Amino acid sequence: MNAIVEARALRKTFGDFQVLNNIDLNIPLGSITGLIGPNGAGKTTTLKALIGLCDVDGELTVAGRDPRESRHKLMEDVCFIADVGILPKWLRVNQIIDYVEAVHPRFDRSKAEKFLATTDIPAKKRIKELSKGMVTQLHLALVMAIDVKLLVLDEPTLGLDIIYRKEFYDRLLNDYFDGERTIIISTHQVEEIETLLSQLIFINRGEIVLDSQMSELADHYAEVVVDTANLAQADALQPIHKRKLLGKYAYTYEGVAKDKLQELGEVLVPSVSDLFVAKLKEERNEQL
Amino acid sequence: MNKIRNLIMKNRYTLLLTTIFAYILAVVVEGAVTGRDARVIDLENPFFDLDVRDFDEFREARSDDDDEADFDDR
Amino acid sequence: MNNFDLRRYRAMLKREVLEHPTLFFGAPVLEALLIVLILAWLQTFVPLEEKRLAVEYMAVLFNGLSPTDMAPIFMLLAIPFVASLYISAIVYLTNSLYQDRRDTSVLFWQSMPVSNLQTVLSKIVTIGVVVPLIYMGTLAIMYCIGAIWLTVMGLSYEVEVAGLGYMFMAALTSLALVYLSTVVASLWLLPTVGWLLLFSAFAKRTPLLWAIGAFILLGLIEGFVFNTQYLANWVESRSDPSGYLILSFGSVFDRLFTYDMLFGIAVGSILITGAVYMRRFID
Repeated sequence: MNAIVEARALRKTFGDFQVLNNIDLNIPLGSITGLIGPNGAGKTTTLKALIGLCDVDGELTVAGRDPRESRHKLMEDVCFIADVGILPKWLRVNQIIDYVEAVHPRFDRSKAEKFLATTDIPAKKRIKELSKGMVTQLHLALVMAIDVKLLVLDEPTLGLDIIYRKEFYDRLLNDYFDGERTIIISTHQVEEIETLLSQLIFINRGEIVLDSQMSELADHYAEVVVDTANLAQADALQPIHKRKLLGKYAYTYEGVAKDKLQELGEVLVPSVSDLFVAKLKEERNEQL
Repeated sequence: MNKIRNLIMKNRYTLLLTTIFAYILAVVVEGAVTGRDARVIDLENPFFDLDVRDFDEFREARSDDDDEADFDDR
Repeated sequence: MNNFDLRRYRAMLKREVLEHPTLFFGAPVLEALLIVLILAWLQTFVPLEEKRLAVEYMAVLFNGLSPTDMAPIFMLLAIPFVASLYISAIVYLTNSLYQDRRDTSVLFWQSMPVSNLQTVLSKIVTIGVVVPLIYMGTLAIMYCIGAIWLTVMGLSYEVEVAGLGYMFMAALTSLALVYLSTVVASLWLLPTVGWLLLFSAFAKRTPLLWAIGAFILLGLIEGFVFNTQYLANWVESRSDPSGYLILSFGSVFDRLFTYDMLFGIAVGSILITGAVYMRRFID
């Protein structure tokens, strides 16, 4: 499969602070990739670098271009939504549609209007008069009407209530994603997107902690609900994370053979959020 | 060359200083070569001399010109 | 340039005008309204006979005169408008590459396929070409009101009003001269425009303070080190548009293609290029 994003050894520092530390990325065409990390992990910096809004060192190719060279050319093939509220507040809804239509060669006005007709957003209102959820809906309507190869979403549903959040991802998956387009989503709310993803990347302190296809996750990681009798045996296999679970213990293992684990108790595929916590805690323990 | 470019583009302060330096250098070199100060073009407008109190005079002058007033700005 | 490009540039200019309705429409309209109201109020103090005489004088004075020859007189009426245009330009330019960074909408603008060069140029064209047109439109409406008013007065005093038509034509023609003057003066001021844009793109806050502060600092350094004030003279000359009054249509090209003008454009371009590259730093 062709890669739409290829990055080697991306680095970025602010003064003494290393924001990105040798980030490698390989994101295949047609995938939905989740970039997941705690606040301040470098998610936004990575995504901004991908679309040329932030200068980084290292090799970087997005949709066949170096984003640092020609941001505006790249933007014909890439769309971007940042955390809510970045639409210019003084424009009216119909004015921003006019603008995007005039400026973007791949914008299909009828698609945007069809989308907006299903929402409560009035065409004449100023953006500053819309609620946070509506602004995100409007931005999604604009972006979904643009036929691009790559859509980059940086915390797109931050600060929205659960109804808007669910609708956002439903729309994205059902009305937009067609298997040929590529979507990269960053968030720290893992639970909401884990069912969408085809690729998973964890990032912490500017480094990639995990990079895996969702389909391969079960091969490498396992969660075992350990019977109390087997605790010592379970500890010996070096779990990356332990947590209490209704009087029992759930152990998370990385790269341990399944048959060995089955002796300890019930073997499950860990949820993305549990794995996220496990990987982050593991890292923290190593640093201590 | 690429290294210099990178150095200038690295952050907003180096870029600002480089731009201002290039600008002032151009202005100063030009000033030195042509040997003069920056100039303001002087205002030349004959109509600013028109005094409303001399209105009658003005009208007479106009009729003397046989309705072919010559009010170029020279 | 194809159709799409044309539509795209028009949309970029429209976006600028839509962002500043008070600055670009409110200011000139309010000014025109004030002038009309004050004149309407003042004329109530003038005795009827003198008003009749004044209207008659005007009609006689302009009767039969070529509007292009008389137009420069009416340029005086535009002075308060040009002054407010000048102030608007300073406010607009210092905020143009700063405001969107402050409210983070820059992320949206930058996610559109519009280059930094196009963005910066659209700001210059807006204030140098488009906004003066809005001002001239306002003045044209004001002159129409004035012409109707004088004509009605003249007719009611049973004065021969044909000469007022010449006066009105001269007033309208003067707008073309004022417009040309502002466009040509914008080019003369290009180094200052570039300076404001550079700091507008640079400053994390208070761009105007930065722009003025940097100028004062450089001037002081020059004063201490060389004991000269070349920079101050230069900036003063490049901030003063009054030298670029176009008083006849023929003189436009003489004013445009002077060495001083072309040098200013060249050296202003250095600052504008700096502003374009500065646009990479959007945080």
